[in-house]
Amino acid sequence: MTYRTHTIEFEHSKISRLLLEGSKDTLLPNFLLELSTESMRGLNGLGFKPRDLTEVEATLEEEVPEPPAIQLKDDNSIERPTPIGPASEKCPVVAVDVSSIRIGESEQGLLYSLRGAIVWRIGSSYNFTRCGPITFHLNDDMARSIVARRYSSEHVAYSTWSPVTERLLARLRNSLERWMQEIACSRIGDGIVLLDGSLTAGTPDNPAFYVEAILRKARKNGNRVMAFSKETRLCYSGRKITRLLEGISIPCILDIDRLIVPQFPSTPVRLMGRVYLAKLGWKSFPFRVDIDRQLSEEKSVDTFSLLMGSDLVEQGYPETLRLAHILSTFTANEVLAIQRYLSIEYGLKIMPRLSLRRSLFGPFGTCKEAS
Amino acid sequence: MKIYKKQGDTIQIICSPEESMEKGDYLLIEDRKVNRGLIVQVVDIQFANLPGILEDILRDVITEGTVQGCDYDPFNISSQIAVLKDTKLLVCKIRGAIEDGKPKPDVSWLPSRTNSRIIPFPIERLTSSDVRKPVTIGKTKTNPLTVDVRMLDGRLNIITGRKGTGKSHLSKLLLLALIHNGAPCLVFDVNGEYVNIGVGKCNKPIDLAEKIKILVPGRNLKFTLDGVGLRSFLDTMIYALDLPRTSSKVFSRIWSELERCGNLNLNSLAETIRRFNCHESVREAINSRYHTILDLDLFTDDPASAFDFNYFQRKLNEGSAFIVNMRDQHSLSRRFIVELFLSKLTEQLSEMRLKAIFLFAEEAHFYLRETYWDDIVTRMRHLGIFTTFITNQPDTVQESVYRQADNIFMFNFTNENDLDAVSKVSKIDAESLRLIVKDLPAHNCLIVGDIVRDFPVVVNVKPLDVQTMGQTRKFFQD
Repeated sequence: MTYRTHTIEFEHSKISRLLLEGSKDTLLPNFLLELSTESMRGLNGLGFKPRDLTEVEATLEEEVPEPPAIQLKDDNSIERPTPIGPASEKCPVVAVDVSSIRIGESEQGLLYSLRGAIVWRIGSSYNFTRCGPITFHLNDDMARSIVARRYSSEHVAYSTWSPVTERLLARLRNSLERWMQEIACSRIGDGIVLLDGSLTAGTPDNPAFYVEAILRKARKNGNRVMAFSKETRLCYSGRKITRLLEGISIPCILDIDRLIVPQFPSTPVRLMGRVYLAKLGWKSFPFRVDIDRQLSEEKSVDTFSLLMGSDLVEQGYPETLRLAHILSTFTANEVLAIQRYLSIEYGLKIMPRLSLRRSLFGPFGTCKEAS
Repeated sequence: MKIYKKQGDTIQIICSPEESMEKGDYLLIEDRKVNRGLIVQVVDIQFANLPGILEDILRDVITEGTVQGCDYDPFNISSQIAVLKDTKLLVCKIRGAIEDGKPKPDVSWLPSRTNSRIIPFPIERLTSSDVRKPVTIGKTKTNPLTVDVRMLDGRLNIITGRKGTGKSHLSKLLLLALIHNGAPCLVFDVNGEYVNIGVGKCNKPIDLAEKIKILVPGRNLKFTLDGVGLRSFLDTMIYALDLPRTSSKVFSRIWSELERCGNLNLNSLAETIRRFNCHESVREAINSRYHTILDLDLFTDDPASAFDFNYFQRKLNEGSAFIVNMRDQHSLSRRFIVELFLSKLTEQLSEMRLKAIFLFAEEAHFYLRETYWDDIVTRMRHLGIFTTFITNQPDTVQESVYRQADNIFMFNFTNENDLDAVSKVSKIDAESLRLIVKDLPAHNCLIVGDIVRDFPVVVNVKPLDVQTMGQTRKFFQD
């Protein structure tokens, strides 16, 4: 169901600060900018294999490999979903999303770019601030540099040095995402902050203290934090848990928190959100939604109604969050532009792409390219 | 710029937005390793189909208007994105080659994709070399285009384009160049556009004014029967007035009898037709046409006020131009005059009394009979009538004329039927012609043929210093 006809009015003053020019410098954390500049410095004149965009156009976004599914105990009976509708009162809605993309590889490492977007709604129009792209040359030197410069304790939160560049990327991405989420939480009041993913934290790549800080800041400003997961690993009776709302066409929510809590020990992974399944529109998609655990149960339920009244909810997904995703995602054309920028700025020499499969098997080497 | 693809005689080149290329421009793909180059002409400019461009544009469409915001782009990558979005794909046709700095016809080789340098090529370097009788037609994108007037000599030419694009202007420019070089010219001026060609913008006669004679039918263009002669008169009766063959034989006998008696004048001709011993239907056929001719007010018995074809021949041989102003003339009168002139010219040329003539025929379908088209292309051309057709209705010119044309000057056409008609031209491929001609701005012309050494060139036709008079009369004046 679409609520396009709703008139949504906010207190402009509460969110207009996001537009202030002066805030630009704080939109991206200095430590990431420095890290980017420092990592790219070593690139000068190196050989460069740009990412081949023709074959991967459809799957450009870097998806971190999905960990195995979590089976929830199905000995407890499931409650009936609670129907919900849009609230009459409105509030500001802000959403944050961050994307990462592989640009190519140098002789000494991998090149990745990050970009984040904050989208919010004023009156009936949407506004955004987009930060990036910032590019990193990920290699062992960079990981050592992070440890040496004590970024670990402050932001990137390395408990141990990891040689795996993908994990390095996950941490950088997490750093930027949490930074931007914190900005969003602190710059609006009495509103809803929408995040991509869940409020589960406590892994080396996603430290709990940072999520805690975000939630603290949000509460201080009277904001309610909701996190939408497009994909969930949670399974119930052998099926994805979102299928519990299958066959229900009206907007509804289902509290599945009590099924999940026993699955997670208190440390190191922490569930900082109360977990729901939510279908926020007629015949829409179901999503796992986490809401700040420190909000009362009643207030949590109200938050869904408040969101439905304050934002467009197309196919069960809030428009602000959809726009944040669209604005942060890289297109193949942008990857090309970054590749062009890098070759001009750092004098990179484009290296021919060697395909081991093609070399060995000729026309029969049809699978993935060796890289 | 880099080569992207080659297919047949088409080469696609990737070009950054900063390069200001236009349709019709020439490029040299220079392979310095082998010291050879390909000369290609841009016939179409498209956006390069980059991966992800659709998503980019969709995102812009989604966010445009409804989503406002700002980008904090610390490394200014967005400028590169803008460059990529506007990256152009130049569709080019191979027109020739250069080897060791000299033009070569061999285009059967392929330059290196990686080592080649692609640079704009001033085509005037080839089209304007070894010009002995120069005329500057206008300007290409970069330089003046000077061609050799001799390339109109012995040639069949077409000037075509939409109304108001500058056809008559160019034909006047060519006409003046021919007159300047002492070439004999005859213009069939349907709209009276050439009558002031001898007068400068400042209302003073130009240097060539003395060589330009304006003929106005009924005023200073009247004929005597004797001056015209039986052959031309009969041709006119047959072709312009559809006199049947049997009747034409009778008319010949009447004419011969009057000539023998030394009594060939309008009154005696009328009288003889009336009393001549022939079938009544034949008499009626001859009589009706004879009176039609009389009504046109083109004949006189006074030799002093009649047009002298010997004078015409003499002046042409001296390098003069005659402009027959057929404005406001009855269509029959036009056909009659044209038949008469063509008949006389054929006669004078075949008797070698006249060396050759450059004929400018504006909207020839108004006055040229069907059988003349092929005649002009073949027989008359060999006799020495070198025609330039000027028309805004290209489908009125016969296909054989397009196929055999040596020089074609094309202004803008947007209508598909018109483009179909002109695409019959054999000197350029139909695809290039359509792509270039469709987008030509006013006063810009695509020249194809001998005059540009078979390198199609887009030129902005230069202004003339004479009164062109080609503008359409308007009711609402600014």
